[in-house]
Amino acid sequence: MLELDAVRVAHGAATAIWDVSLHVGSGELVCVVGPNGAGKTTLINAIAGLNRIAAGTMTIDGRDIGALPSHAYCEQGIAIVPEGRRLFTGLTVRENLELGGYRQGARAARATTLARVLEVFPALRAKLQAAAGTLSGGQQQMVAIGRAMMCQPRLLLLDEPSLGLAPAIVLEMFAVIREINRSGVGVLLVEQNVAMALELATRAYVLEEGRIAFEGAPAELLAAPHIRRAYLGEG
Amino acid sequence: MTLPSATLLAQAVLSGVFIGALYGLLGLGLSLSWGMLRQINLAHFALAFLGAYLTHHLTSVAHWDPLATLLLIVPGFFAFGALLHWVFARFAITPFNSLLVTFGLTVIIESAIQWIWTADPRMLDSAYGHVKFKLGALYVPLPELLTLAFATTLSTATWAALRFTDLGRAMRAAAEDAPTAAAFGVDERRLSLLLSGVSAAFAGVAGLCLALSFTLAPSQVYAWIGVVFAAVMIGGLGNPLGPLVAGIVIGVSESLTMAITAPAWAPLVSFSLLIAVLLARAEKI
Amino acid sequence: MATLHFPARAAIAGVGIALAAVPLLKLPAFYESFLYLVFHWIVLATSWNILSGYSGYFSFGHGAFFGVGMYTTATLAGQFGMPFLWTLPVAALVAAAFGIGIGAVVFRVGRLRGELFALITLAVTFVVATVVLNTPLDGGQGVNLGGVRLPSIMASPSSTLYVLALALALLTVWIAYEIFHARLGTGLFAIHDDEDVAEVLGVPTFRYKLAALGVSCALAGVAGAIQAMFVSYVTVGETFSIIVPLNVVLMSVLGGTRHWLGPAVGATVITGLLYAFTAGEYAVAGRAAVGLILVVVILFLPDGVLGRFVRSARSRAGKSARAADPPLPASPPAPVASRPAAPGTATRESDAPGDLLLEVRGVAKSFRGVRALDGVDIDVRRGEILGLVGPNGSGKSTLINVVSGHYRSDGGRIAFDGRDLTGAPAHRIAHAGIARTYQIPRPFAHLSVLDNVVLPAMFGRDLLGRGEAEREALIWLEFTGLATKADDLPDALNLHQRKFLELARALASRPQLLLLDEVLSGLTPSEIDGAIHTIRAIRDRGATIVFVEHVMRAVMELTDRIVVLDQGRVIAEGAPADVMGRTEVVTAYLGRPHA
Repeated sequence: MLELDAVRVAHGAATAIWDVSLHVGSGELVCVVGPNGAGKTTLINAIAGLNRIAAGTMTIDGRDIGALPSHAYCEQGIAIVPEGRRLFTGLTVRENLELGGYRQGARAARATTLARVLEVFPALRAKLQAAAGTLSGGQQQMVAIGRAMMCQPRLLLLDEPSLGLAPAIVLEMFAVIREINRSGVGVLLVEQNVAMALELATRAYVLEEGRIAFEGAPAELLAAPHIRRAYLGEG
Repeated sequence: MTLPSATLLAQAVLSGVFIGALYGLLGLGLSLSWGMLRQINLAHFALAFLGAYLTHHLTSVAHWDPLATLLLIVPGFFAFGALLHWVFARFAITPFNSLLVTFGLTVIIESAIQWIWTADPRMLDSAYGHVKFKLGALYVPLPELLTLAFATTLSTATWAALRFTDLGRAMRAAAEDAPTAAAFGVDERRLSLLLSGVSAAFAGVAGLCLALSFTLAPSQVYAWIGVVFAAVMIGGLGNPLGPLVAGIVIGVSESLTMAITAPAWAPLVSFSLLIAVLLARAEKI
Repeated sequence: MATLHFPARAAIAGVGIALAAVPLLKLPAFYESFLYLVFHWIVLATSWNILSGYSGYFSFGHGAFFGVGMYTTATLAGQFGMPFLWTLPVAALVAAAFGIGIGAVVFRVGRLRGELFALITLAVTFVVATVVLNTPLDGGQGVNLGGVRLPSIMASPSSTLYVLALALALLTVWIAYEIFHARLGTGLFAIHDDEDVAEVLGVPTFRYKLAALGVSCALAGVAGAIQAMFVSYVTVGETFSIIVPLNVVLMSVLGGTRHWLGPAVGATVITGLLYAFTAGEYAVAGRAAVGLILVVVILFLPDGVLGRFVRSARSRAGKSARAADPPLPASPPAPVASRPAAPGTATRESDAPGDLLLEVRGVAKSFRGVRALDGVDIDVRRGEILGLVGPNGSGKSTLINVVSGHYRSDGGRIAFDGRDLTGAPAHRIAHAGIARTYQIPRPFAHLSVLDNVVLPAMFGRDLLGRGEAEREALIWLEFTGLATKADDLPDALNLHQRKFLELARALASRPQLLLLDEVLSGLTPSEIDGAIHTIRAIRDRGATIVFVEHVMRAVMELTDRIVVLDQGRVIAEGAPADVMGRTEVVTAYLGRPHA
């Protein structure tokens, strides 16, 4: 479904992503892990259309999307849950969710989609009129995921969704992500919480200093001394 | 200092409401472009006066009905506003530099006004100007009532549009975080052009109201800047109802000050209110 | 720049003497009037620029201060009969007091300071005009100064005014020049680029802005005083018109706001142009042209005419000046003993290794309901390298920001070297000896790499003079490998170099405590090796370091002790190998696998 081929992305004046090729098949759950500063956010933002690609091709279902303006990516079926959630704090929860369904293709079925989102996150029902900025971290994350779901995407991008969240909430959230994937939506997950990410994914990439250092099944990755050293130092 | 009669005070309050409504109408476009587009458009005032002079001209010389002049002014000013934003975006003008550029623009427009219509003061003599309603012991002139009507309608309509429509939601989201809004399909550039055009169109409507109630002179362009900015800041940037409410508060305070003390002290009122609000509300370093 | 001082001062003096001789030439009155106006505008534009151009706080109210000076003289000389020359210093004081009063209120406001200041100063002009108009100061009829006697400095009154204006213009340009080259100027330009960072590096921003404002207003006040006699009939409409603020902005922007001579150049050019338009109907066209020039200049020439010219000249001058200096040490400077004042060893007697340098107790900080720091207790011992680690969002950067004064804490206590620094303004924290780097480098974009490092040396713990600060800065640039880039602007550096610029800046203030915020993120493995070596060298010179990092390899190699933060709280503390092996830390980093 999603294919990146020899993609290069700049971050300011410097090149942050070098020669990256990856793919996410229809309905797959793929994760990207790696140390801080490796370029994970730059990569996922490029896939969402928030960063321009400097070189290489990016296609979805064979359609080249590299040259499209930022606001056209959503119509291609890509939705993002950005790092730090980036909710519109001046808008209510309901408005945030409805904005998720702003694109033409999603507008007609908006009421139905909203109902489905509220089934997945029943805790938000009571918070619909609250300003998004007043919610706790975990609740904000629910809204962010809900907002992306409202877009009715074929590919869901998540950038470090467990950031700043208590472990119990992280568990719930990952269960939701698994459900979303089961319903047929492809997922590309960037995560610092390596153990959980590798539990969830069918395939994993390791990104180090802007390059793919490893691709394979999660079990292989966990067994590699590579990961422990990268994240914990010796031992 | 003897207190004036109750009727006089009530009339003062009423005039305060009317002038406040005009502050609000002038402030509406300004607040929108500053709060949502990060553009401080000083030229808004010159634009309003241009609209006023155009209304005056079309009414006195071409014998149009003053309200009909809006048919020409609103689309024309909308186009100008969109063009202005396009220039700002093209040159990546910072919010501060937008202040400087529009300062220059203000002077150009004001000079053009003086060139075309001379510095002689002019007062529009229209049918509306002669109509006065009576509310008990109070007088309610039609032009002022029209101003209040325009100000309230436009402010409320804008507020409602921003609050309840898809487009309005998209604008508010884009104003807060344009890249994330783009990720959900919001074309920030097009919305900004629209908003900038609408702000300028509002300036045109304010111009009509100015022409109906006030004597026009090119130097007057600058006289309104201070008090309207005060209304905008007190009302909260980007809040469509803010300038109207703050404007009325300022207008009534000024009016009462004039009735109780001397007319000359009115400008101090808005300034003092502004300082007070800033001190109360602003974050200290 | 020391070599340029003499020619510039001599040039100013030379021009001044030449111009003073003009009245003696007995030219037609036109020349004297024209030159008077040129001097008049040079004073107004240059004085405006001292605050607005240097610091970036654009004032649209210069007309108010000018008018205040004008009416001070009009009232004192016209209504109370004070001798004219005595009214000049009074006008200066009144205008300065007025300006400082406004500044004292507005400069304390946090957000929107720049725009707010611009708009408030615009409004002030109208308020002052109203007050003057409605009180006996003017009363609506204007003030007639025809009867006031001018001292006979020159043969005729107009020549006297000419010479007074000339003297004021020379004084103003000279003051602008001196401030430009003094600490005040350096501080103001830093404020222009990034006020918060300037404050953290030790610049007393509030005080400096007020000082610049005061000087600016005083000079405008005196210009008004002289102008009062020139027009001899003072009215509110003419005094407080929009012309003054518009012209000073335009002249300075055209000539270049970042240079002491820019406004004078702009003033001369514009006055010349406007004089060509004096006749009646062209006055309007002239005003429109002025507005148009302002628009065009902002769009196409944001640095002004002088700006572009000066930048290249200065970098050439800098390079050749440095070629003449004695060569610097090829390798990083030798340890403590051989250098006069290495970081950490300056004047403290109680330098026993291991005593408590920084004490953080119960510090809390929330942002819009999110608790970034939830009661943090940390001790930092002198001479150690303390690692501060934790997952993203655990509060590490926030803690650095609070300790360095970038944010004020919501609760708790911070004591440094025995002194209570809780709630102190950032520049005082810098003076106490704490320096930090920024995770995303924040260099002063318009200052050269060298000047970026000179500033903290001038405003840091030891408050060095400019010459000494430059030598200190060069040493640290050499140390971090940036010496060849000294004259470049920061945007010419890559990320690695910019991070090292942050480091050089922090070191130049000669801190006792150095807070490094993710200085290694984004670096390649070999660059990381070099950085580890450098950091160790810094500690060996006696500095205490708190080191926020994600790159575990570096943390394990460098740190003596580690503190682990998670969700705003300390969850572990101790020796590196020990702490990183503990289950709660492993869980915090890798997460608990789904059971």
